[in-house]
Amino acid sequence: MKSILIVEDDALMLKIILKILSKENYEIDTAVNGKEAFEKLEARNYNYDLVITDIMMPYSNGFEIISKLKQHGTGRVPVIMVSNVNHENIVMEVFKAGADDYIKKPVMAGELLIRVKKLIN
Amino acid sequence: MSLSQLLYEFELAPFVVQVAVGFIIFSVTITSFAYLLILIRRFRGYIYDKRQEMLEPIIDDTIINQLLFNEYTEDTADVSAIPLDITVLKQAPFRGRANRQILIRYLMQYRKNMRGINGLLLKRIFLELDLDKDSMRKLRSSSWISKVCGLQELTTMDVSIPDVNILPLTNSKNRELRAAARSAYLKLSKNEAFKFFDVVTEPMLDWDQIELFRIITSSEELVIPNFANWISYSPNKTVVEFCIKLAVHYNQVSAADAIVKLLDSHDHELRAHAIHAIGSLKLDEIEHKLLSMYPSQPLQCQIEILKALGKIESGKSYDFLTTEFLYANNFDIRKAAARSLVKSRGITEDTIAKFKEIVTPENMLILNHCMNPLIQF
Repeated sequence: MKSILIVEDDALMLKIILKILSKENYEIDTAVNGKEAFEKLEARNYNYDLVITDIMMPYSNGFEIISKLKQHGTGRVPVIMVSNVNHENIVMEVFKAGADDYIKKPVMAGELLIRVKKLIN
Repeated sequence: MSLSQLLYEFELAPFVVQVAVGFIIFSVTITSFAYLLILIRRFRGYIYDKRQEMLEPIIDDTIINQLLFNEYTEDTADVSAIPLDITVLKQAPFRGRANRQILIRYLMQYRKNMRGINGLLLKRIFLELDLDKDSMRKLRSSSWISKVCGLQELTTMDVSIPDVNILPLTNSKNRELRAAARSAYLKLSKNEAFKFFDVVTEPMLDWDQIELFRIITSSEELVIPNFANWISYSPNKTVVEFCIKLAVHYNQVSAADAIVKLLDSHDHELRAHAIHAIGSLKLDEIEHKLLSMYPSQPLQCQIEILKALGKIESGKSYDFLTTEFLYANNFDIRKAAARSLVKSRGITEDTIAKFKEIVTPENMLILNHCMNPLIQF
């Protein structure tokens, strides 16, 4: 069973993403900020099939999470960034940082599912 | 001691004591009143939280089941054809005004997080529950805060508002209401989104302009008109300035004639905006006019002319810019001239060598500053 870590500080957004992904058979962990995300990553030895993360969060942002994943170096965990920031510079920064995909909020349920399936498989 | 005895003692007491007692009574009364208000407020907050706690699972389950687990959403793009079962949201707990307001808030939160067919379904739920009527009622309230709430609700749910309700609000004397109404009008009115420019009498403040600019330039559905009309005919100076900025942003060379006419305006601020726009649009055919009007202009306009010459980059005003850089008395003039020289690539190694022999140390400092690639022109 594929495992996903969702890092999102907005409770409603987290609920929505969970419900969207619950249509498929994934094992899902959640974190509400960067610090909790790091703890979950270390607890599983970075062994997730996909990480979905917001950019702006308390303690650490999405870029720091990607940086942490790169530092760990064991295998390549795909990352999808989700944010309501639409500035073109941010989008470029996201891909420069090493994210595999970027979804702008508000999300489309079908779109999120397709992008997750594409990366996780 | 009875009250009458106390009053008798009070009347016999010295004036200072009477004042002190009066002050104490007044303070205790006010403090008690304040505490009472705080308690009432906390109680209302507690009731609201309880109500929200009760309603949240019902709302979440219903909305999520109808949106994300509705099997018809993947088969069709026609929102009106998708069967929706929102009976539970029409029943008892949701008939009261307070609970309906909670429901509106939740729908708005969902709408901010979801788009596509789910976003349209949320709008449909909002309309089928007649929640748009609640929001429209707020627009008729005497309280400007209620009006702003109503506007935000209707804008978030993408429900159009009749012009007769919203246009007067775009010209309200209340700044916050005016800004909210203008933003709402732009977001909701796709084809004639700029109609409120025709009725604006109140000034568009700088912050209002920034917010409107953000909404206009980030909207993908807005039909952008030619702003020349308002540049030429609007009696509101701030509308003219704002339309000039928009014309520059959208590179509307068709508005050039209207902008150039403003060079003859008596208002030096409008002239400055027009000159800035001419530079940004790189209207090199107007360069000679800028040079000829330069001596008679106030400082603000002169600086804008120098900047515009740099942006136009024709190379024809190189000597003029050099003269201003070397010999102008005013520091800002010399700085603007130097920037334009650098911008128009008039500075070569030979030029720098020549300048080093003749410029003052201050001018050399200005030139080095302008040549720094980190300084954005």
